[in-house]
Amino acid sequence: MSEFLAMGGYGKYLWPAFALGFGIVVLNFVMAVNSLANAKQEARRRLEIAR
Amino acid sequence: MATWTWFHRLASPPHVYGFARRWAPWFGGFAAASMLIALYGGLVLAPEDYQQKDAFRMVYVHAPSAWLSLMIYTTMAVAAAVGLIWRMKVAHAAAAACAPIGAWFTVAALGTGMLWGKPMWGAYWVWDPRLTSELVLLFLYLGYMGLRAAIEDPGKADKASAVLAVVGVINVPIIKYSVTWWNSLHQTATVMQMGKPKMNGDMLWPLLLMFLAFALYFATVLLIRLRAELLRRERNASWVREVLT
Repeated sequence: MSEFLAMGGYGKYLWPAFALGFGIVVLNFVMAVNSLANAKQEARRRLEIAR
Repeated sequence: MATWTWFHRLASPPHVYGFARRWAPWFGGFAAASMLIALYGGLVLAPEDYQQKDAFRMVYVHAPSAWLSLMIYTTMAVAAAVGLIWRMKVAHAAAAACAPIGAWFTVAALGTGMLWGKPMWGAYWVWDPRLTSELVLLFLYLGYMGLRAAIEDPGKADKASAVLAVVGVINVPIIKYSVTWWNSLHQTATVMQMGKPKMNGDMLWPLLLMFLAFALYFATVLLIRLRAELLRRERNASWVREVLT
């Protein structure tokens, strides 16, 4: 396992690169879902005011 | 006439909203599954490179991020052009939805590239044509978003930002061919080239699968953002009441 994590001595560059790349993958998804939830909430509020 | 029906449907916000709601979970599910398989293939099954050793595995996050940064900009420019030419609001909404995703993947491409550059070139950053043109791409995305945010009238914001997106697309072939047009530290194309890829099959399949995963992931996030964008733009339309109640 430690050999796998060391990645032949390149682990200190490789794992931060994967953390950054896939961190952005997760972050973008969460931000998009939040943006949709906020848009829905705003639209519902407007509909209630208009009623 | 029938062949244009799909195009006309693309101009209908409720149709596009319904399509996005139905398809995003499917795209997302396939993206997650293929990403996990590609990660296992790239990190565990693929043999090490004879020159770069295990450092080459950074290709499985760097190359798909860089490719996505270009693909998203091209998608954004095409959507912006369609919005300008046919005055299609949904196209402007799609272009606006692309920008933050593209900007983040440009950051991913630059950041992972820097982490690959240090052990291979001895420096995190060099003012190389590929790196510099990719940095310009980030500024184009930020400029697009900044311009949209600075103009209060949504119609004017759509038009002005669309012009910027269309003009900026000239940077996409510059990034792609920078490694062949100029002397560059960055390696030339390994997969996206004419003829057979230069990569061994055991290394190649996880990379191709990761490209597919990133494309499906982009489709997922774009469809979610597009729904949000349509709700904000169409807040007074009757279809919004129908889909929310």
